[in-house]
Parts: sequence; structure tokens; C-alpha cells
Amino acid sequence: MARRYDSHTTTFSPEGRLFQVEYAMEAISHAGAAVGVRTDEGVVLAAEKKILSKLLETSVASEKMHKLDDHVGVAVAGINSDANILINSARLSAQRYLMTYQEPVPMEQLVQTLCDQKQGYTQYGGLRPFGVSFLFGGWDKNCGFQLYQSDPSGNYAGWMAAAIGANATAAQAILKTEYKEGMSLTDARRLATKVLKQTMDSTKLEAEKVEMAEVSWKSDAKQAVAYRVLKETELAELCDQANKEAEAKAAAGKK
Amino acid sequence: RAGGAAPESERVTKMSIMSYNGAAIIAMCGKECVAIASDLRFGINQQQTTAVDMKKIYKIHDHLYVGLSGLATDQATLAQRFKFRHNMYELRESRKMRPETFANLVSTVLYEKRFGPYYAEPIVAGLDATNGYKPFITGMDLIGAMAPTDNFVVCGNNEESLFGVCESMYKPDLEPEELFEVIAQCILAGVNRDCLSGWGGVVHVISKDKVITRTLKGRMD
Repeated sequence: MARRYDSHTTTFSPEGRLFQVEYAMEAISHAGAAVGVRTDEGVVLAAEKKILSKLLETSVASEKMHKLDDHVGVAVAGINSDANILINSARLSAQRYLMTYQEPVPMEQLVQTLCDQKQGYTQYGGLRPFGVSFLFGGWDKNCGFQLYQSDPSGNYAGWMAAAIGANATAAQAILKTEYKEGMSLTDARRLATKVLKQTMDSTKLEAEKVEMAEVSWKSDAKQAVAYRVLKETELAELCDQANKEAEAKAAAGKK
Repeated sequence: RAGGAAPESERVTKMSIMSYNGAAIIAMCGKECVAIASDLRFGINQQQTTAVDMKKIYKIHDHLYVGLSGLATDQATLAQRFKFRHNMYELRESRKMRPETFANLVSTVLYEKRFGPYYAEPIVAGLDATNGYKPFITGMDLIGAMAPTDNFVVCGNNEESLFGVCESMYKPDLEPEELFEVIAQCILAGVNRDCLSGWGGVVHVISKDKVITRTLKGRMD
């Protein structure tokens, strides 16, 4: 039954489903996980690196995290080439807003513009949807620090904590129990690492397998925010902590 | 019209659009530093001085500044366009633009409007971080013809005057503080004979590890 309604992206099935969009989401569920946690001090984005070959040239650019503007960063889950198109589009959109209004683009507007573009591919043109989900983390003057999640259908929502990619539902469940209002940024980093560890395949978390970025105040003066990627040393420390916590928990459980 | 001069009421003097607002900008190369200075006058229709804090020099990044003379709306719009382009470049390449690369971008942006140009003439000044922070300055006309040099560049309404003072006061390989003195004296002296520029000045001296910005107190006429 589904066979007849899934080849055209812009057709509903009798049950009212858009199969191509669902298949896109299926593609994303095989991609590396990404987790986002929002606090009043900043937004943390953490992601699992899927390409781990030693032959890979570690250039400046990252696999999962991208800066969209000084005050917004994004974590990707899905088809990276699709993501690149959308990221470029988002960057241009943010700069156009900056040029016109001489102030940084409000987060929701940026997310909405991008999602409108994604939605277009589910309604006209006959082209397949983008196989990407995003976690946007950033700050603007009106709403402070925000975290948004978007998917191939063009739907988006604001979250306190969210996960995309492989084992996203499991990650989301853990976040639901462990997230606390008024968390500090340090706690958020630990939570993100912990959730990643529990949803990844490996038993021990290693810094090379993880990427983390955040949008937070540049200094205590709280004059400006900046997107920054966490250094290897910081990641190593967080991974160590997460591993120790897990071991302690396992030992306590055995007793 | 046939024979005879037009009646006085019909005689109109033609004004250059580049003199509508008024500006004076100088950039100079020193020893491992560059300096860029401008006046601060903003006038309307040549006669009315409306502001004395008009920004004509814009920071692109820590080692790259661009100064623009000419029609104020065009110089401001161009500065915004350059910021846009540099932001995109930095996002894609994860590094900042070299001054020479930026100057070529400026030239291209201007030439795109070859047959309906922006009425602005830019000066690019910076240090090339990929080449031992070597000083780089260049001036350009309104359609992007570059003229890089290793001493000084000027632009504005009274270029002859600015060239004159720079020619007499400039020396190569000046240290940042000396360079500041020279460029400050040049800009203040150079704008004296021009009613369209002046009303104070601003100087940025760009070195490898810092930028010192000073506002100059000049004749407020």
C-alpha cells in the first residue's frame, strides 16, 4: 500500500503521511547522535563523531558543529552534504538580516527561515527533502539563550534539552529525567557528555569520538556572547568524568 | 540654446556628487605597523555641517581597516557590504581575510557596478598575518582601480592638499608612535584648506598585537 505513495515527495498517503519525509527521518536515525542543553548561562551542543579513521585530516572545520553567526551555532545529524547547503543558506540569511537591521538576527527568525526552506521541499518542486535534523544553540537580546530543534519536515520547536540522530528517543528520555531548571553551564556540559555516553555504542567515552561546542558569554562582563568549540583538553576531562561516574554507578549497582 | 548667456536665475553650478558630503582619509605604512586616519565632518549639500563624529573608517578585523570617502550613504552601505562578505568568508574558511585579498574583494564589488557606480573611494590598510604582519595599504577609485604602495595613500575632496602634506612629512619605517605623529599632523594640516573636510579627526595605528585609536582635536571650522 505504501509503495504507491512514497515515490513522490509532494503527495500525501491515504493515512495522511508524507513518506519521503518519514524516510528522511529514518536516514537521520542512522547518523551520529547530537545533544543540546540550554541553561541561563549558555547553550551546550555535543555530538558523536561518526568518521573516526586515522587517515582523516583534522582540519579546522568540524564534522558536526558549525557556526552560523557570532551568536548562533548548530549541530547536525543526517546527510552532511545536505547539511552544508542549508548551513550556507542560514549563514547568508543571518548576514542579510545583519546588513539590513545592523543587529544580529534573532534566533527564532533564523530557524524559521531555514525551516521554511526545508518545508518547500515537502510541498513543491518534486525534489526530495533534506535528510538533516539540526540543533540550533544561540542567544539573542529578546529571549536570551535558546535551543531549537528542526527536522526534514520543516517543523521546529524550542527546547530546554533535546537530542537528534541515533538513539534520539533514548537520549531524550534520559534528558527528561536528568535535566534541572537553573542548571549551570558546567552541569550542562556534564549532562550532555553523560547522555552521549549512554546513547553511543562504545562502553568508554573517548575525547576523539566526541565534539562539543557552546554559545556562552565571552567573559564575566556579559557584554557579548560567542560560539566556541571546546578544546581537546576540556573534552578529555569531561569524558573522564563521565566514564568514572558510569563506573561508580555500575559498581554500586553490583553491590 | 541660441546665442547669449542664460539669465542669472537659470545659471546653475554643477557640483560633483563626490563633494556632497565631504571627507579626507590618509593611510601610511610604518615599521611593522600601518596607520589610517580620517576627518570627522559630515555635511549635507556641501554647505551645512550636520555632524562632527561621522565614521569613515571601519574595522573589518583586528589587522584590517577600511576607510571610505565620497557620498556618505554609499560609503556606509559599502562598509556594511564588506562586513557581510568578510563574515561569510570567515565562516567558510575559518580564518580572517588577508588585506590584499580584501582589497581585491573591494575592487570587485566596486567594478560590479561599473556603469552605475557607488560614489565612494576606499582605502584599505592592514597587516598580513600570513606574511609576518607585513604592512599593506592601497587606495582605489570608485570603480575599483587599485594602487597599492609602500608609503602612503590619500583620498577625499582635497587630494592635492593631502598629497602635499604627506609628501613633505612622510618618512619610511617609522615606529608606531612616530607614525601616529606624522599621520595626525598630515590629516589636520591637509584638511585646513578644504571646507568640506575637517572638524576633528580620528587615527588608528595598527600593530601586530594592538590597535591604538585616538581622536584628534582640530580646528572646528
